Amino acid sequence: MNFDFTADQQDIKRTAHDLLASRSSLDRVREAAESGTPDAALWNELRDLGWPGIAVAEEHGGQGLGTLELAILLEELGYACAVTPLLGTVLAAAAIEHGGSDDQRARWLPGLASGEITGALGPADGLIPDAPGAGVVVALDADGGARLVDPASVEAVKTIDPTRAYGRMRADGTGAGEALTGDVAAGVDRGAIAVSAELVGISQRALEMTLEYVKERKQFGTPVGAFQAVSHRCAQMLLYTESARSATYFAAWAADADADRLAEGASLAKAAASEAGREVTASAIQAHGGIGFTWEADVHWFYKRAQLDATLLGGTGTHRARLTRLVAGRRAGAATA
Amino acid sequence: MDLTFNDAETAFRDELRAWFDSHEPGPEPRHDEDAHWRWRRDWQRQLGAGGWAGVHWPQEYGGRGATLTQSAIFFEELGRAGAPLPADVLGLLLAGPTLMVWGTDAQKERLLPTILSAEETWCQGFSEPDAGSDLAAVKTRAVKDGDEWVVTGQKVWTSGAQYAKWCMLVARTDPDAPKKHQGLTYFVLDMEQEGVQVRPLRQITGESEFNELFLEGARISDDNVVGGVGNGWKVALTTLMNERAGLAFFLQVRLRQQLDKLIDEAAARGLLDDPVVAEKLGDLHVRVEVLRLTAYRGLTAIEKYGQPGPEGSLTKWMWSDTNQQLVQLAADILGADALVADSPWAYELLRARGNSIEGGTTEILKNIVAERVLGLPRMR
Ligand SMILES: Cc1cc2nc3c(=O)[nH]c(=O)nc-3n(C[C@H](O)[C@H](O)[C@H](O)COP(=O)(O)OP(=O)(O)OC[C@H]3O[C@@H](n4cnc5c(N)ncnc54)[C@H](O)[C@@H]3O)c2cc1C
Repeated sequence: MNFDFTADQQDIKRTAHDLLASRSSLDRVREAAESGTPDAALWNELRDLGWPGIAVAEEHGGQGLGTLELAILLEELGYACAVTPLLGTVLAAAAIEHGGSDDQRARWLPGLASGEITGALGPADGLIPDAPGAGVVVALDADGGARLVDPASVEAVKTIDPTRAYGRMRADGTGAGEALTGDVAAGVDRGAIAVSAELVGISQRALEMTLEYVKERKQFGTPVGAFQAVSHRCAQMLLYTESARSATYFAAWAADADADRLAEGASLAKAAASEAGREVTASAIQAHGGIGFTWEADVHWFYKRAQLDATLLGGTGTHRARLTRLVAGRRAGAATA
Repeated sequence: MDLTFNDAETAFRDELRAWFDSHEPGPEPRHDEDAHWRWRRDWQRQLGAGGWAGVHWPQEYGGRGATLTQSAIFFEELGRAGAPLPADVLGLLLAGPTLMVWGTDAQKERLLPTILSAEETWCQGFSEPDAGSDLAAVKTRAVKDGDEWVVTGQKVWTSGAQYAKWCMLVARTDPDAPKKHQGLTYFVLDMEQEGVQVRPLRQITGESEFNELFLEGARISDDNVVGGVGNGWKVALTTLMNERAGLAFFLQVRLRQQLDKLIDEAAARGLLDDPVVAEKLGDLHVRVEVLRLTAYRGLTAIEKYGQPGPEGSLTKWMWSDTNQQLVQLAADILGADALVADSPWAYELLRARGNSIEGGTTEILKNIVAERVLGLPRMR
């Protein structure tokens, strides 16, 4: 048993962390969010580093690493709240890699892995992150099927989260497109893990920003972090964040090492991380007092992205219900075996 | 115990309903704060002309002299009619009642009528960058100069300052007072003068409901001291008590309407048979009703004993908590659709985050309940 990253994975994490700290400061995030355009310079740099293809097989131009490495990158992107189309691109790549035919893989993965085109994945009848401007869009149908649809049939939608572009399919795009015939669920579950990892990063950052603030901010002649109401809230934020982290790392490991537990892992991660993201960022605003309610304070970027991420690919309720079914199914299987 | 309205109350309600049937605020302007303000102000003018603006104000001040129960009925009916709060809630619910307790006759005569007519509106200049939860730590100075006071300092989070003619200002007049609560004075500040600068602050929602207020040599005549020099803390407490009591009824009704809307949304999606959704909606129903009933108990306590019971300290906390849970449940029921910019829920989801901060944070309210209601030892 070794519930920790390898030395190589630690390296990836550290490098990603440092790079984003220097290239995607919160000032840059604010600039990109307020202008409504992704940070193009950052995206070019991430492309050059091969981030979009980190989990794509080498034969398709990727780095051939696993879901764990992908999760490491996304956690750091969440931590930085970086404004790039990376999430949509890696979600589309995961769906095509696992759900696509040889031909579909050969056609789309090299472009996605190099970042030459960006991708998006989301419900056919709902909000799709990073869909505007994507080169390929994977639409998920309610029955678990997926289709590659014409990106021209996507229209941009404004949400409360200006740190990411969102779109939806125009009504005339329903049912159209080229079906993915492979194991779509295996791709989507990896996507859910990637979103969970982003939520872990968001929670971590919101917690750190809060700790910094409540140590400095004084009321009644005392740092507000010394008031038990505040310190206990911070402790609770840590509990949520670490719970999400445990579940997400387990899920990412299972995706690579124990595919039988992928479905359970993905739902475990998404349920825990969605809850953590919402609770921790809401607490962060509360602990910042009036400042936390202003546009000038950066915590709201994290609150807003956490709200969206929590709904992507199913929220806490959906995944908890799925877990119950999975566990019940497993118990029924054990009883009949 | 009798939880029905008496004849006078029923008659009051029927009269009010008839009035609402023939008057309406018109369509709500969206995405334009100034237009929104004008809309609420026009609505208050209609209310005022009909004698409904200051229902809870005594008749001698132009109000209707309604009992507390009647004013609760007013706010319930206002909400039921789908109408907005009048523009100058701060004047009607906070400044007016504070002046009635502490103001001089001249102050009442000059300041109260224009609140009712919405001709002049109010803002509340309490908070400062370093005095938020610790209100008594205000640093803004007022120095006597002849028969005037000269004010220097900075206020923050001043809601509605961009539209206000008057500000309820708490300032330090005796920096050498042995305790920080002493040495404070409550003033009425005229916002329309050179020494007052209002700078809008953008909020998480993108709107600018509150502002920074810079006071550099602003002048206040001696006549506009409220409740005596050095007595500011006590006067401010009157305002704060009204803040907590007065709004409860309107907020409670708004909550009811939001919950009803959410139940409709869930029904439209066929989700009422989903046990989790049903359980959560049921829980919110309990909370909303409990808040309403608790607020009514508070009314009875005041009517019978002249002061609010412990319920009074609980309602703001209950309200903000319930509202935040309600909007978060909307995101669960509607999914991402609740988070697209033109969904009314999206705005509510962001705005609700302020509920547990504005008007005293939940942490501070809990401290008050623990110390003053439960008699627990004070934190050191
Ligand atoms: C939407 C909105 C509108 C507002 N409008 C007005 C207005 O019109 N006029 C006006 O004067 N003010 C207004 N305010 C200001 C509001 O009253 C203050 O923000 C509030 O009192 C908190 O003060 P603060 O922001 O300085 O936070 P701080 O006091 O710095 O609090 C930071 C955190 O520490 C906690 N904390 C502080 N002290 C304690 C303690 N003793 N025990 C436990 N926890 C503690 C707080 O609960 C909070 O979580 C408004 C605020 C908002 C959000």
